[in-house]
Amino acid sequence: MLLSVRDLQTHLHLKRGVLRAVDGVSLDVAEGETLGLVGESGSGKTLTGLSLLRLLPKGSGRIVGGSIKLDGQELTTLSEAALARDIRGRKIAMIMQDPMTSLNPVFSIGDQVGSPLRNHDIARGAALRSAVVDVLQRVRLPSPADRLGDYPHQFSGGQRQRIVAAMAIGCTPRLLVADEPTTALDVTIQVQIINLLRNIQADTGAGIILITHDLGVAASLCRRIAVMYAGQIIETGPVRAIYRTPSHPYTQALLAAIPRLGAKRARLTAIAGQPPSLIDPPTGCRFAARCTLRMDKCAEAPPNVTLSDGHSAACWKLV
Amino acid sequence: MSGFFIRRLLQGVISIIGASMIIFVISRLSGDPILMLLPNDAPTSMIEETRRNLGLDRPLWVQYLIFAQNALVGDFGNSYRWKMPALKLILDRLPATIELAMCGLLFSVAVAVPVGVMSAVHRGGWIDRIGRVFAMLGQAMPAFWVGLLLILVFAIKLNWLPAFGHGSWSQLVLPAISLGWYPVAAQTRIVRSAMLDVLDSDHIRLSRALGTPERLIIWKYALRNAAVPLLTMLGVYFAAMLGGAFVVETIFAWPGVGRTVVEAVFARDFPVVQAGVLFTSILFVMSNLLVDLSYGLVDPRIRNGR
Repeated sequence: MLLSVRDLQTHLHLKRGVLRAVDGVSLDVAEGETLGLVGESGSGKTLTGLSLLRLLPKGSGRIVGGSIKLDGQELTTLSEAALARDIRGRKIAMIMQDPMTSLNPVFSIGDQVGSPLRNHDIARGAALRSAVVDVLQRVRLPSPADRLGDYPHQFSGGQRQRIVAAMAIGCTPRLLVADEPTTALDVTIQVQIINLLRNIQADTGAGIILITHDLGVAASLCRRIAVMYAGQIIETGPVRAIYRTPSHPYTQALLAAIPRLGAKRARLTAIAGQPPSLIDPPTGCRFAARCTLRMDKCAEAPPNVTLSDGHSAACWKLV
Repeated sequence: MSGFFIRRLLQGVISIIGASMIIFVISRLSGDPILMLLPNDAPTSMIEETRRNLGLDRPLWVQYLIFAQNALVGDFGNSYRWKMPALKLILDRLPATIELAMCGLLFSVAVAVPVGVMSAVHRGGWIDRIGRVFAMLGQAMPAFWVGLLLILVFAIKLNWLPAFGHGSWSQLVLPAISLGWYPVAAQTRIVRSAMLDVLDSDHIRLSRALGTPERLIIWKYALRNAAVPLLTMLGVYFAAMLGGAFVVETIFAWPGVGRTVVEAVFARDFPVVQAGVLFTSILFVMSNLLVDLSYGLVDPRIRNGR
């Protein structure tokens, strides 16, 4: 297994108290596989992604338990220097949400795309320049050789996301964490970026974790999906199974909230209530307070029930 | 960019005209220069004649128009006291003033940038706290006091550096520090807050996620972003140092424009005061223009006209 996360616990130490942002997350990503990490904002999906790189908010964020193994190497105990040198940008790279702010406005894109290659000693001098042109070609930026000296503001949003992708794949990382890579883009550009991620994967065989709140984007790119709610993965399985037979009431509600063309019902079903506070989360099922199928048993933590091959959900209804 | 530049240039010209009017009127409020030039028992006819020769018998607005007309072609009149062209008197002293202002600025930047950067990086740590104490001291200690203190410690007690004079680098150290002392505080604060902003931005987070060494993140990728607000401030301070160095120049007997103007004010030597002040305001406007232009050097968005 390329990436194997077991019982990950990431806490944010805030003035109000300790926020259990990621609370017992386990997931696996195989080589060449795309895993969709789906959930609403605040569900802990981004912090799960940042935990993999140990890039948590300085001072407040801390991984307090669990293990993260990349190719069998434990990352939670690695030193900060070793992480920067061998893991970040080298083996695990990240694509962030907003291409408009992800690039440094006062450095040329040639410098920025070349930066990971320089820092990880992949190429220097003339070889560096041709490596930068090459990687920009791979993300299909038009006439890259002429644009190395250009600055981020001279590119469109879609082009910038391509440049960010070029920075990420320069050192051919084993795992790509893409945090809402299409959210800030127009729909037509979204399709291009999704295709780009597909091509990158076909080229490099990297595993991808796609963090998104958009079930449509997840379905078009991923083989497997993990649904997060309040810091935990509540259902995971192949895309088909999740969409055809969603088993956790939250997943069902989430799918019912997607607008569909040609649907008979005009009204969308919203999920009543708010997610629980993660500073003092309920002991039982975290969705119970909003769940229409709630039972007395839900006050206890639900077991993870295997439904079919690779499809499981954490809900008492399924026992 | 060029439209913006022309607009700033026009604003500068208006500022200079305004400054010339103000200094023209104010210097004449300080008293009658004739009384300083002639002996106390000079006969009335002689006073009248001197006044006529200097053009001081005409109405104020006529005097100003004559002054303005001559100033346009670079003629600021002769010094009443030294009987030589006022402009030459000022120009001769200008290099010393520029030298001092540059070194003062260099000192302040050399302190403010590292302290500001480290305060931002180790926010709340000991460097940040010491930096804040220094900033407070800088703001609270006026230049004349810093100057006297430096003379007392380094010239008199320790005898390391000369207390006054001009010519060697050792004579430059103390005046440059007293001049650069005050702006250190404001510059440190602006570097610190700009760095805090930048270090919290998405592109720095991405740099970290791609394994850029922390020292490059801080001193290369973040610092250039933080340079824009600092640069604005440097322009203002450089101009202020050119024009406002008279206290430091007087304390350290530095032969610059400031001290010359101060002496001219006491002697009611109007042409020298006018030439000095006008010249300083031109420098002020010019250094602000230079700052506007230099944004393009650090920020490509401005360079490309956006």
